[in-house]
Amino acid sequence: MKSRRPHFSLLTVAAATVAFSACPAWAQLKLGFNVPLTGFAAADGKSSLEGAKLAVEQANAKGGVAGQKIELVVYDDQATPKEAVPSATKMVEKDQVVAAVSGSYSGSTRAAAVIFQRAQVPYVVAYAIHPDITLAGDYMFRVSAMGEVQGRGGAKLVQNLGKKKVVLVTLKNDFGQALAAGFKEAAPKLGINIINEYEYGMPDRQFGPLVSKIKSDNPDVIYASGYFFTAGPLVSQLRAAGVTAPIIGQEGYDSDKFIEIAGPASEGTYVTTSLDRDSDAPATKAFLADYRKATGSGADMVAAASFTATSVAIEGLKKSGGKGGAALRDAIAAGSYDMPIGKLEFNDLHEVKKDIQVQIVKDKAFRRHSIISDQVLLAPPTKAK
Amino acid sequence: MLAIELIAQGLIQGSIYALVALGLTLVYGLLRILHVAHAALFTLGGYVGVLVCNASGNLPLGFFCAALVSGLGGVVMFRLAYQPLLNQPPYVALIASIGLFIASEEAFRIIFGAQGMSFNTPSLEQQFSIGGLQFKLAELLVMLSTAAIIGVLAFLQSRTRVGIACQATVSDPQMAQSFGISLRQVRDINFFVGSALAGFAGVWVALLNNLVEPTMGSVPSYKALAIIVLGGLGSVPGTLTAALLLGVIEAFGTIYLGGILDRNAIAFAFLIAVLMVRPQGLFARS
Repeated sequence: MKSRRPHFSLLTVAAATVAFSACPAWAQLKLGFNVPLTGFAAADGKSSLEGAKLAVEQANAKGGVAGQKIELVVYDDQATPKEAVPSATKMVEKDQVVAAVSGSYSGSTRAAAVIFQRAQVPYVVAYAIHPDITLAGDYMFRVSAMGEVQGRGGAKLVQNLGKKKVVLVTLKNDFGQALAAGFKEAAPKLGINIINEYEYGMPDRQFGPLVSKIKSDNPDVIYASGYFFTAGPLVSQLRAAGVTAPIIGQEGYDSDKFIEIAGPASEGTYVTTSLDRDSDAPATKAFLADYRKATGSGADMVAAASFTATSVAIEGLKKSGGKGGAALRDAIAAGSYDMPIGKLEFNDLHEVKKDIQVQIVKDKAFRRHSIISDQVLLAPPTKAK
Repeated sequence: MLAIELIAQGLIQGSIYALVALGLTLVYGLLRILHVAHAALFTLGGYVGVLVCNASGNLPLGFFCAALVSGLGGVVMFRLAYQPLLNQPPYVALIASIGLFIASEEAFRIIFGAQGMSFNTPSLEQQFSIGGLQFKLAELLVMLSTAAIIGVLAFLQSRTRVGIACQATVSDPQMAQSFGISLRQVRDINFFVGSALAGFAGVWVALLNNLVEPTMGSVPSYKALAIIVLGGLGSVPGTLTAALLLGVIEAFGTIYLGGILDRNAIAFAFLIAVLMVRPQGLFARS
């Protein structure tokens, strides 16, 4: 027995040597990707990573970029700036990525944006919505609607539903506050009366006191920001207490997990988002089918946005012939993209102008309710303002 | 009317705090360890409750298994992590406890997934109206079961040999030992009972939110510490009062102080206010 061991390990070493020496033969283009794989946002991070991986696999299956395969270099940023900064620095210094994609939240993406801008590495942001991200500089791109724009879309939906008295329930982070700011900006113009606003923290799951107060406010509609893990308990507790006013959520609700947690209480909840599950657009239909095939589960907004951001970076690379820096920046900026979350073009601040999809929970699934396409109200900010 | 509703909601939340903090205070009373990892057993209880209930469709069985597994988990934690550190200064055990808690959170994430788990068919969703207030059955049962459990524990502690042995060990371990009480046994029982209560509370929270997550223990981990300090470290009646009082104060604070003070900061603002007036806590042991 003893004599067999050295042979075995020699064989392993030999195999490993062959494998490693084979690597340089396939030149690889490195695409950085920061995403929360641990910590409170890990569930979104998982969807996001699946979306990005799918985009890379599809591009590689079609021959990659300029004869090179794309390699996704993934860093877990835990959705916190303190992890995002070293991750972004490593991507720039050690991995020397040609471009990077954010599959993470606003806090970490804002911190990373400054580093990529300084290094002149184009950074395409999937679903982080804070305004400061694209203000970091001209190497920044965002494929989803900014928080304020989504908030304005929420106010428009209230008007479309013919409601007047609103209670805002705002999550105390970048996401919730940006949404509330947009909503409050648009509300007076649309004749909406905000009768009360309450805030809650990320760890909160028990909303008993808040629910009691909302019940006594007796609003026509509730505009509540949050993620599926806060919104699920919130919606179910509101309904259990007998509050029947319609509830409007946003992208953060956009996960089958929301329906699972809130159960029957989720029926009739509106969500303003960027993924329309009932879309006839070929890019959306193909993505929904491919995602299900690749992962065995339905896609959510985070997966669709991350797939889109990664695909936009890859399209840019194809046009720049695999070159990074200014060539890639200009290629991405000039492009027009047909993506699962709609047709995208960047303005001078590298924000996209797009419609907002309103989905409603019906028979345990997100279904199309309406589309908000008010060009003036939903206009993203430009360099001028 | 709103005030009554807020008090009721505060008592529901306070009952959960009480169940979690009781175990912590038992451990502190006995060993002078601030057992942060106690909250991991609360999370463990939530997961076991959901898994067992989903597999068997039997909620009482879910509660039983959650309390049992968390209780045993507590004993294992004590034997492996704390017992070897008993002769070290108290902060050594505290550091071990924090490490254990962080490791458990990540272990839950790796084993059960980051997305959290829910009941296939949530139970106790029926709604009740009492005096114009609307409750979910689960909310009522949280309060009732907490009261029942505390009553039973109080009886066991004052009327049974094991309970009296525990009390004797808390007040003077050496004397208790010389009377033939096994310290090891008393410690095991304490950890088992305290951790089982945390596991039991975990299932209630899972039911109320229809969600268990790897991080569901993070708020109880520090809030329960604030509660046992408030209650006068190691005092069971003090912990109970502090837990219920904090629940009610938080309920009002969330609505009327929400703009200034985070809900989870209210516990500490209250703690500071009380300690300024009564540095020994609300119900310090003599």
